[in-house]
Amino acid sequence: MSTLTAVRLPSARLALSVLAVVTFLAVAGGTVAPHDPLLQDPDLALRGPSLIHPFGTDYLGRDVFSRLLAGTGTTVVAALESVGVGLALGVLPGLASLWLGRTVEWVLLRAVDAVMTLPFIVFAIAVTGILGNGLSQAMVAIGVLFAPLFFRVTRAAGLSLTRAHYVEAAELFGASRWRILRTHVWGKVVPTVAVTAAQATGGALLAVSSLTFLGIGVQPPAPTWGGVLASELGFLSQQPWAPVIPAALIMVAVAALNALADAIRPGGAA
Amino acid sequence: MTTLLSRPAPVAVAKPDPAPPKRRSRRWIGTLATPVVVFVFSSLLTFGLGALSPSNPAAAVLGETATPADIARMNHEFGLDRPLPVQYVDWLFSALRGDLGRSYFTTIPVADSIFAALPVDLALAGLAILLAVLIGGAAGIGAALRQGGRLDRTVTAVASALGTLPPFVLGIGLIIIFSVLLKALPAGGYVPLENGLGQWLRFAILPALALSLDIAASIARQLRTSLVGQLGENYVTGAVVRGLGTRRVLFGHALRNAIGPALTVLGIGVPMILGGAVVTEKIFNLPGLAQLALQASGQHDVPLIQGTLLVTVTVVLICNTLVNIAVLRLTPQGKR
Repeated sequence: MSTLTAVRLPSARLALSVLAVVTFLAVAGGTVAPHDPLLQDPDLALRGPSLIHPFGTDYLGRDVFSRLLAGTGTTVVAALESVGVGLALGVLPGLASLWLGRTVEWVLLRAVDAVMTLPFIVFAIAVTGILGNGLSQAMVAIGVLFAPLFFRVTRAAGLSLTRAHYVEAAELFGASRWRILRTHVWGKVVPTVAVTAAQATGGALLAVSSLTFLGIGVQPPAPTWGGVLASELGFLSQQPWAPVIPAALIMVAVAALNALADAIRPGGAA
Repeated sequence: MTTLLSRPAPVAVAKPDPAPPKRRSRRWIGTLATPVVVFVFSSLLTFGLGALSPSNPAAAVLGETATPADIARMNHEFGLDRPLPVQYVDWLFSALRGDLGRSYFTTIPVADSIFAALPVDLALAGLAILLAVLIGGAAGIGAALRQGGRLDRTVTAVASALGTLPPFVLGIGLIIIFSVLLKALPAGGYVPLENGLGQWLRFAILPALALSLDIAASIARQLRTSLVGQLGENYVTGAVVRGLGTRRVLFGHALRNAIGPALTVLGIGVPMILGGAVVTEKIFNLPGLAQLALQASGQHDVPLIQGTLLVTVTVVLICNTLVNIAVLRLTPQGKR
């Protein structure tokens, strides 16, 4: 199934509309928010939903709806940042491992094995502990750990191509290695990498929310989805329903990315 | 943690490189030697991270009033005035002897702090892996046997939903159900295993369950897919025709061939369980390695951070090697 026909699937359309809304909020979130996401009002702390505060208020009396809208940008940018780092560190070495000879291949494979032994959160904590507690540092750490995934996927997609007849033919015609990669291999590898990138973005969203839950990366009072969720979880006894909203937001975004990944997967939904 | 992190892309797992068939002895050597090489790579990474640190530990510990002479003396004391390669080799060989240096702040040996916390994580991760195998295995086998049925659809739906949930939500959900509503189990805290299995289990079961469900979902998915494939093979039909019972066909034949991908997922799952433990320890207030790492991270305590990272990597490598050995021993492909 080609990428274009896949988009006509109902699930893919739904996923794309969800992602379009999330993108809009990421760009415009702060400006469409009905209240100042940082404005505290102790008299209004922990109120239920009302017309003025559709999702209620948090423990400092801040409007939860506005905080979620304003936090979308930070959350999405952070997730994309880590996926970008993973793509940059994974795709090219993945191709290099196939075309630059055995020594390069061996070193890259062992390096990938080594990175794969690092647990995401522990590594992100270590990196922010040593390089400074910022969201960028944390997401670069997560991105480094995404690299093996992109490396392996690119390598798996490219492996069959190294022995494809048309690649051999191009080599015999004297095409340069660079030209072969650009014209014959790249287009075949991109769809697989795109699927993985969509899934990885979902994973990154979850990683961001875990890190903000632990207080890593984001300095309060700046709002993020995970931060809103974490702060609501602290007041479960007063407002047991409150964490459901940010949790549902994260779930819907991740599920949309997964559905999109399934729809554009080469060969149809797996 | 649960994420991609917890959801390895099927493409990456399902297609191992078509390596030329090796003899068994060579494969065993590879299984046992690769971890050593990988350990060296990981230790370089861990050490390099510390070397990248922008803060001068001596300046940070001694504070604003330190004179340059004080800082130089302290750098010399910690061996930080030597060339980096010398520091690396020295650090690695000390680490192999169990000496991970001393904390910059408390000057307590890093190894002591780590080995006080590690049993908590090992016990918890062990229980989580056991639960993941039991739950994931039962769900995957059940779904494959009743392919297309209600159980199959439920397992698939629950497994997909689990993958979209931030890991800490699961832990908190369990606390709400079992501690707040049912009042059956404590919401947090820890009792060491030495105080008795029952006592330990009361505190460990919820965090272990929270950690395991995500891996269990991956195992169930992989096992279902590969088992459905195997059950459609001719040798299974043949075994049924020969009059072998369902149990014999399933456990004696089909499962052995189908278990490879699920074991691989389990291998990938070990770092996920140890990583997820950070969040779980925070929620359930457990005195484990993750609390230590968080505290070290907050203080920029480089030796302690490096120590936790290196020990975690070592545990992951040992577990991965055990999984690889299991693949070689259990699957018919590995025995050839």
